[in-house]
Amino acid sequence: MSPRVSDSPSAIPAPSPLEQLWLCEAIRLREAQGQRLDDREANRHAHAAGGDLAQRIQARALWLARRDGLLEALQHYRHGARLALLVLGLLALLSGAGLALAALGDGQRPVNLFWALGSLLGLNWLLLAGWLLSWVVASPGASSLAHAWRWLSLRGAADARASHLAAALPSLLQPRQLNRWGLGLLSHGLWLLTLSAALLMLLALLSTRRYGFVWETTLLGSETFVSLIENLGALPARLGFSQPDSALIRASGDLALTQESARQAWAGWLLGVFVVFGLLPRLLLALLCFGAWRHGLGRLGLDLTLPAYQLLRHDLQPDSERLGIHDLAPALAQPSAVASQVHSSSGALLVAIELDPQRPWPPSLPNGVADGGVLDSREQRQQLLERLSHTPPARLAIACDPRRSPDRGTLALLGELARSAASTRIWLLPAPAGETLDSARLDDWQRALQQLQLNYSASAPWRWLESGHE
Amino acid sequence: MRNPAAIREQWPDCNWLPDCIRATGATMNQPLKLAVVGHTNVGKTSLLRTLTRDVEFGEVSHRPSTTRHVEGARLSVDGQPLLELYDTPGLEDAIALLDYLERLEQPGERLDGPARIARFLASSEARQRFEQEAKVLRQLLASDAGLYLIDAREPVLAKYKDELAVLADCGKPLLPVLNFSSAGQAQEDAWRSALARLGLHALVAFDTVAPPLDGERRLYESLALLLEKSRPHLQRLIASHAAQAQARRHSGRQLIAELLIDCAACRQPVSRQPDAEQAAIQALREAVRQREQRCVDALLRLYAFRPDTAQASALPLLDGRWGDDLFNPETLKQLGIRLGSGVAAGAATGAGIDLLVGGLSLGAASVLGALAGGGLQTARNYGGRLLGKLKGQRELSLDDAVLRLLAVRQLQLLAALEARGHAATTAIQLDNPQDKRWRTGKLPAALHKARAHPEWSALNPAAELAQAERQAQVTQLAASLAEPEKS
Repeated sequence: MSPRVSDSPSAIPAPSPLEQLWLCEAIRLREAQGQRLDDREANRHAHAAGGDLAQRIQARALWLARRDGLLEALQHYRHGARLALLVLGLLALLSGAGLALAALGDGQRPVNLFWALGSLLGLNWLLLAGWLLSWVVASPGASSLAHAWRWLSLRGAADARASHLAAALPSLLQPRQLNRWGLGLLSHGLWLLTLSAALLMLLALLSTRRYGFVWETTLLGSETFVSLIENLGALPARLGFSQPDSALIRASGDLALTQESARQAWAGWLLGVFVVFGLLPRLLLALLCFGAWRHGLGRLGLDLTLPAYQLLRHDLQPDSERLGIHDLAPALAQPSAVASQVHSSSGALLVAIELDPQRPWPPSLPNGVADGGVLDSREQRQQLLERLSHTPPARLAIACDPRRSPDRGTLALLGELARSAASTRIWLLPAPAGETLDSARLDDWQRALQQLQLNYSASAPWRWLESGHE
Repeated sequence: MRNPAAIREQWPDCNWLPDCIRATGATMNQPLKLAVVGHTNVGKTSLLRTLTRDVEFGEVSHRPSTTRHVEGARLSVDGQPLLELYDTPGLEDAIALLDYLERLEQPGERLDGPARIARFLASSEARQRFEQEAKVLRQLLASDAGLYLIDAREPVLAKYKDELAVLADCGKPLLPVLNFSSAGQAQEDAWRSALARLGLHALVAFDTVAPPLDGERRLYESLALLLEKSRPHLQRLIASHAAQAQARRHSGRQLIAELLIDCAACRQPVSRQPDAEQAAIQALREAVRQREQRCVDALLRLYAFRPDTAQASALPLLDGRWGDDLFNPETLKQLGIRLGSGVAAGAATGAGIDLLVGGLSLGAASVLGALAGGGLQTARNYGGRLLGKLKGQRELSLDDAVLRLLAVRQLQLLAALEARGHAATTAIQLDNPQDKRWRTGKLPAALHKARAHPEWSALNPAAELAQAERQAQVTQLAASLAEPEKS
């Protein structure tokens, strides 16, 4: 399949494994709508491509996607996604820088520590809490996201084919919650970008401008603030960020200190809190989402138990295939008519061939009719044929059970017997009590006997055996 | 497929891998070859059709010697060929052939079986009088073993014994298989003792038209006893076929569940003008009929019965369609399905709107019921529909009785397809369904839920079939279709 992909004139790059599955799902959804696709050629290609069933289904989907323009639609999505990512990334960078600028101001006025922290991290924390909450309240968030995606892609999609593609993505990702991890990766990644930009801007501003830091309160006591600042700074301090001592904190509650060490201590504290409580959580969550996404992606495959794929099994990976005829049928020799080869004959004889041993035989015979017994084995056949060649009967009745199959061996025996009697009749025995004859098989017998030109009847030919007439 | 890992798994005590591969290569890589032999007209081609699940393999008729050529079929698992089956012409003149074989021996000479067969195959009669028999013997010689098919209704005649004697001369293992074994016990015992006298003690009963559920497994297991070397192949085949039967059943139930969800969720607005109403009713009925037909087609395809073959028309379907109309009250009565309240009430009051619709419900009751049962999202869904009601529109939906009928019918079809051999050419007789659950019991919760979700139905315009919640309900419903009936 791969040569076709690279040879395609529009030069659409080969889909990634995820995109392959996406195309499969889109095709499956399309078929679920009811109409069967004209997929004979696709099936043939997929069958020839080999591999296991999942690979063949993917090859088929790829072939159909190329034929029906889904690949182009996929390419649109790729471009769109790339563009959107670029725009979002730029936005994140700009808003990050803006965040830092807004938090620190122009240095004319002292920076209120908690206002600065709030404006740097407030929105981040709010949205982070929202994201965490979405794990607790499971389905509504997911479905509204799916709706948003659908709405977006319907506006963006040029035609119906693309809309199948749009519906397929959530349906592919949802069962393994991959959509959550993917969206998480996207949002945490963007926030990480925003916060990194903010951090860089903070560093730039703090290195090139002089800021004084204060904290202010009207309602709360200063002790609360001192302990709050110390608690917030405890974790960053362990990582090496500076932590203002309590005297400095108290002093900064009155007015912005102008001495260098105080400013540096506050700047270090601000950076530490920002990194530890803003940047680090996002980084860790982004890594977590990335890991989960990769893990899920690795285990994402076609669900072969779906009826749509079970239906394809027969076409793509048949469990049985015909090997064809490799020893041709011989020309069938038509049985020719049997003519008696007997010149002088006398008497009447009844024989039966290949009877069920459970059938009572012989029936009570009229006077002058001899019993030839039941012919089954080769020896019995031989004996009777020898006896007939010595004393050919004038009238020979052969009883056959039409439940047997009129095979070539039996018909040959009938012919041989008929040739050694002056005239012959076949008696097609009725079925034993409680059974019925298979009419199709009876018909086979009659046809075969007609070809041999032997007379037959379904009733006992007693009168014919006795007298020679009906 | 020379897969060292697989070989290691099979021979854990193997120290030097290449040697093992060489030693086992012959049996690992080559599919097991089986010749299906027997008297004419005992159902050899039918056996192949059933084992390969291929309704179009060869030609089957009641005539003797329908098959006069040798034709093969291959069974594979995951692309690896495991078994090759060869359909051979019937033996028709074994008595004369055995006689001829014995005459081929020069006086004072003692030939063993294969040598006698070799001499026969080189003779001119092998190209003339016994050409058909020669094909059978050649194929048996080229195979690993033979399946000797027996019509269990036949008495043990001398010609069959001679057939076995000729076949035994080939020196290949033979496994007798009793076809039509459901016909009666008397002959089966006779066959058993006759075969035991010939040294054939293993015997498998396998009815090609209505194969027993574990018939295929027992056939392959008996073969594995006979052909120890091929045991891994045969066991893989057994495991794979069991897994696939399971997967087919699962998929079949999913297909039926989707049909039921589609129909339960189906609702279409209809205006109050009588003409438009009638037209909408007709359109919806036709849509539902087509939807059911799609399910029938899919089930036939799933079980590898083609709608255009004789086999399919012999199902309880007329030309691949159900003969009885879905919306005919008589059909419901025949299957003993409880009529929905709408139909019954309409009949009692003579108001007739629901009776007239026959299987479709009109009105507000279902909307309100769904509202009571559904949550916020449901209410949002219904916003537009309630507005439509205020504007004088009403909605058409399918009555419970129709859902019951659909479920009973499709489950019956699924059961019939499961039990049907791919050689069956006659119509199957379906018993009256014993499953009371669907005829009169409570409908599963998934269907009630679907009533409140018009977007789940492929019959509605703005269908969203990919919704995860719909898929969950389909799975749940399919699982409840699988539950055994509680008595």
